[in-house]
Amino acid sequence: MSSEVNGHEILLRLEEAVVCFDEKAGVEICQLAINSGLDPGEILESGLAAGMTRAGELFNSQEYFVPELLRCSDAFEAALSILQPHITADSRKDKIKVIIGSMEGDLHEIGRKLVALMYESAGWTVSDLGCDVKLEKFLLEIAKTNPDVVALSSLMTSSMQNMPRFIQEIKDIKPEVVIMVGGAPMNPDIAQDYGADGYAGNCGVAVSETEVAIDRVLKASTADRGGPGRHMVKAL
Amino acid sequence: MRPAARLTALINGEPLDRVPFTPFILGFSARNVGLSLASFYSDPEKSYQASLLTQQQYCCDNRPAFGYADYGAWEFGGEAKFPDSPNEQSIMVLRRPISTEEEAWKLSLPDVRTAGYLPTQMAFTRVQIKYTGRASSPSMTPFCTAVSLVGEETFCRWMLTKPELCHHLLLLVTQHRKQVIQHWVDTFGVTNLRVEQSTGPESNDVISPQQFEEFALPYMLDLHQWILDLGIRSIYCHICGDHNLNLPHWEKVAFGDPGMMTFGNQVDLDEAITRFGEKAIIFGNLEPPLILHGPPEKIYEETRKCLEKGKQAPRGYVMTSGCEVPVDTPPYHMWVINKAISDFGWYE
Repeated sequence: MSSEVNGHEILLRLEEAVVCFDEKAGVEICQLAINSGLDPGEILESGLAAGMTRAGELFNSQEYFVPELLRCSDAFEAALSILQPHITADSRKDKIKVIIGSMEGDLHEIGRKLVALMYESAGWTVSDLGCDVKLEKFLLEIAKTNPDVVALSSLMTSSMQNMPRFIQEIKDIKPEVVIMVGGAPMNPDIAQDYGADGYAGNCGVAVSETEVAIDRVLKASTADRGGPGRHMVKAL
Repeated sequence: MRPAARLTALINGEPLDRVPFTPFILGFSARNVGLSLASFYSDPEKSYQASLLTQQQYCCDNRPAFGYADYGAWEFGGEAKFPDSPNEQSIMVLRRPISTEEEAWKLSLPDVRTAGYLPTQMAFTRVQIKYTGRASSPSMTPFCTAVSLVGEETFCRWMLTKPELCHHLLLLVTQHRKQVIQHWVDTFGVTNLRVEQSTGPESNDVISPQQFEEFALPYMLDLHQWILDLGIRSIYCHICGDHNLNLPHWEKVAFGDPGMMTFGNQVDLDEAITRFGEKAIIFGNLEPPLILHGPPEKIYEETRKCLEKGKQAPRGYVMTSGCEVPVDTPPYHMWVINKAISDFGWYE
């Protein structure tokens, strides 16, 4: 009982270090958690990811803004660098795989990076293709990594207009992939018109909205074909 | 009323026939007349004509404008390029002048006669004077310019980790803005010069109202008072994005008599009019993605709503887009806005 309580306390302190963007404390407490024999997956989920989830909630309620979220991500990444060597490939094998990138012609970074971080903090495997990503690069990465989700980001009306074409071409080669879109000029109506499976208004809701979209696509494909995407049921 | 007369009457508080219409059309104008975006941003005469013809086509009341959103990086020694693909809508920064703290501390003021895009903007202003006798200054707030020097992500981090460095950059760019405006005043005088400001990352989409108060507001207060002390009558400020939590701070800023404040669709026009309507002409605030995507009936209805609210503004109201009209906006959508103004924009 005492060690369980201690373990729980350590994870709470780790969560707090992320929320308070205390990089030094995050690294020290993460090391303490490892030395205490806590499971690395649990340290990630109940310590670090829990911290980022709370940070996301604070962002949604406009108590935190982009500067705070960036600093929380710094604390998260610093602690994760200590934890990473202890996380085995097996513990990630059933996790959702995401490709994310900013649309061709779009050089904006912050929003996409924060969304990628929230996906990562949820324990998903993220391949961030960066900004100004051509369709061909998305398609190559899809062929290479076989993702469950492709997330397209656009902060400009000029670059967002390519989304319907990108979405169609991606769906042509991988119909069951879940396509999420986001960015300042986007909204749910436009996302639907473009053929996307889901829309996230900001990084704070990226994970939850993606899960909703995955669930929706899963139900649709199960109703249609009775099969694809079973591994995503397990991951969720 | 002719457009120039309509705007003059508005500024002087005289009766108008209808609500003026001044959409923010840059790249849209270029596309409309078949001019490349690169030419639009590099050739002031062609740019002016493209905007003028488009404004005449859509019964606009504004005069052609010129500028780009990521001002600062190029002017302080970074690199930029003109748009050269269909996915690009404006001048794009390729390299920012600052990548380390040391570089930030050592950054010096550029020569406003030769820096970055300023010579081209000066040439454009000369074209404005040639055709209208009136001029507009280059626009960007100190906060926006400071962010451009180093990039939004780094500046956001520095606000929490190195606030003194942010203040150093903000002081520097405020001095730069004063030098730019002084250069325009020395060249064109104050009587027919409108000083313009454009915001960007100081919205609550990025920073908190506390951060706005600490990092954006002091420099805006200083700069605006300095501008008004020169004898400039009005400051035109494009307040882009969600500024709802910043509105109490904006109330402290002087804009002249009358001021001119444009709001994005994120700020309700009723709120803007309540807070600022006694001291400023209110502009706004049709959502650009709506203008691009439609449907037309929603564009018409949202324009009607803006007009209904805006006509209550005590110092006057101007119908405009909340930010730049997207380059590929269907012409019919612009006509729909015209139709709504024609149906609902007249004063009794």
